[in-house]
Amino acid sequence: MSADDQQRAGDRPILAVEDLAVHYGAGRRRQSVLDGVSLSVARGETVGIIGETGSGKSTFARTVLGLVRAGRGRILIDGEDVARHKPRQWQALRRRGVVQYVFQDPLRSLDPDLTIEDSLVEPLLVRGMRRPEAVERARAYLGRVRLDEDLLPRLPGELSGGQRQRVAVARALVAEPGLIILDEPVSALDSANRVGVLEILKGLRDSGVALLFISHDLGSVAGIADRIAVLYQGRFVEVGAARDVVNTPRHPYTRLLVGSAPTLRSAAAARARREELRALLRT
Amino acid sequence: MGTVRRVLGLVSGRLAVAILFVVALLAILGPLVAPHDPLATSPRTLAGPSGSHWLGTDNLGRDVFSRLLEGSRTSVVGSVEVALVGLAVGVVPGLLSVYLGRVFEWVTLRVADTLLALPFLVFAVAVTSLLGNGITQAMLTVGVLLSPLFYRVTRAATLTVAQSQYVESALISGASVGWVVRRHVWGKVLPPVMVALAYTVGIGFVVVSSLTFLGIGVQPPAPTWGGLLASDLGYLSYQPWAPIAPAVLIIVTVWASNLLADAIRDVSGEAGRALLNNRRARAVRATATTEPISAGGATP
Repeated sequence: MSADDQQRAGDRPILAVEDLAVHYGAGRRRQSVLDGVSLSVARGETVGIIGETGSGKSTFARTVLGLVRAGRGRILIDGEDVARHKPRQWQALRRRGVVQYVFQDPLRSLDPDLTIEDSLVEPLLVRGMRRPEAVERARAYLGRVRLDEDLLPRLPGELSGGQRQRVAVARALVAEPGLIILDEPVSALDSANRVGVLEILKGLRDSGVALLFISHDLGSVAGIADRIAVLYQGRFVEVGAARDVVNTPRHPYTRLLVGSAPTLRSAAAARARREELRALLRT
Repeated sequence: MGTVRRVLGLVSGRLAVAILFVVALLAILGPLVAPHDPLATSPRTLAGPSGSHWLGTDNLGRDVFSRLLEGSRTSVVGSVEVALVGLAVGVVPGLLSVYLGRVFEWVTLRVADTLLALPFLVFAVAVTSLLGNGITQAMLTVGVLLSPLFYRVTRAATLTVAQSQYVESALISGASVGWVVRRHVWGKVLPPVMVALAYTVGIGFVVVSSLTFLGIGVQPPAPTWGGLLASDLGYLSYQPWAPIAPAVLIIVTVWASNLLADAIRDVSGEAGRALLNNRRARAVRATATTEPISAGGATP
């Protein structure tokens, strides 16, 4: 690759979604989940997607990963349009490990019968890497998420929730991805573990991995994201720099979110403001 | 083979394995150590137990003990045959029904329903009259009719695993369906299939005994446990105690098979992990350490 090519690859967003529509069911049961959403994530950028339950944020992530079929639109992963990919093409793309995913609940996303070591090396063995080399790399990334090597022969059931989620992050990292999609990565954790995992994610962001951080909680996203996209009823109602979205929200739903986050304002004033915004949303 | 070790760790598991081991020994060595020819008749009919005939003689003067030993081979081989045929016919379609698409799924489900709806004793009678009266024909038929059990157990276990997040997670890493089945599905499907297998061996015994009781599957002079039971019942007024020996053998073997099935179920899967964690916790408490134990895989 020449320097010029490299420059162009560097400019190209790691993920670009254009006019994506997704629906479940067909005929009379057809239900639109995402309705013409567009979003791009640059290399090394951290983007937060905020939305309430049922807004379509998990569907967005699952469509980008090829677990849900896109109805319309384009999904460019590192320049490759994947929206119409066949299973074989998906497999080839996934083995390159460009995009990785971290589930909300690590107890369910790690096979309870496999040791931590087996879970960590799986993405590498799948690609055909030899086991000793894969284990070597797994050890290195276990250190990155501040876990001890003693955990390698253990089963997921023997770890705490915070440790398990850090293992899930390490599993995403061993593939050396350009983008990690995190679906509510801290929602299942208590506050101490939440802070620990968020700190690790900040470290990742600073090391140049792009993150797509999905959450219903503005508080956990605001501190880490460069940009925030607000998903409401299947559409992005507001996309902008994190500071702007938090300080000067334009859409009523965003204002409701900001208003619901704990602030120093008096509780009564906040409640009155929320009522007003809800009324505005209803019209 | 951690499961085997854990099964032997349970009292019920040890008992079941011991009984089945003795039954297997009977099947292998029984005919060799039989004191008399099991088919030889003698004028001493319906004799009581004596030094020469431990369990007496039957209506044709044949030695009952020798006939029991000789019959154990047919009974055991027959029931194992039933279970293995069911396993072979049921497991693979059960696994594939989750992965090979809707048409295959629909067809196999309907076939399984159909097989379940057939009364197998009647069906076995019909098939043996078509294919000839042999134990293998009868057992093949019964095995095929029992295969929906394996099909359903395999399919249910596979469905649960196939929809789990760790399988999605493996697929996102680029794993093929073959890899997922080998790495994630197989280990979870095997324990319930083993439970079904042990259970089917038990059913097989009952079926072999019932069929031979009715005279299907074996040619008349050849002894089986079920056949002995049938002929003993005909002479109940002369020898009221005679049916006890074959009946006890059948009951104990079936019971041991079911006991083994329960033991395998208890030590594998979620229940097994909970059991192990409990034991570990108890062991730690016994040594009076204050270190907390994680609840492990048992938490929902």
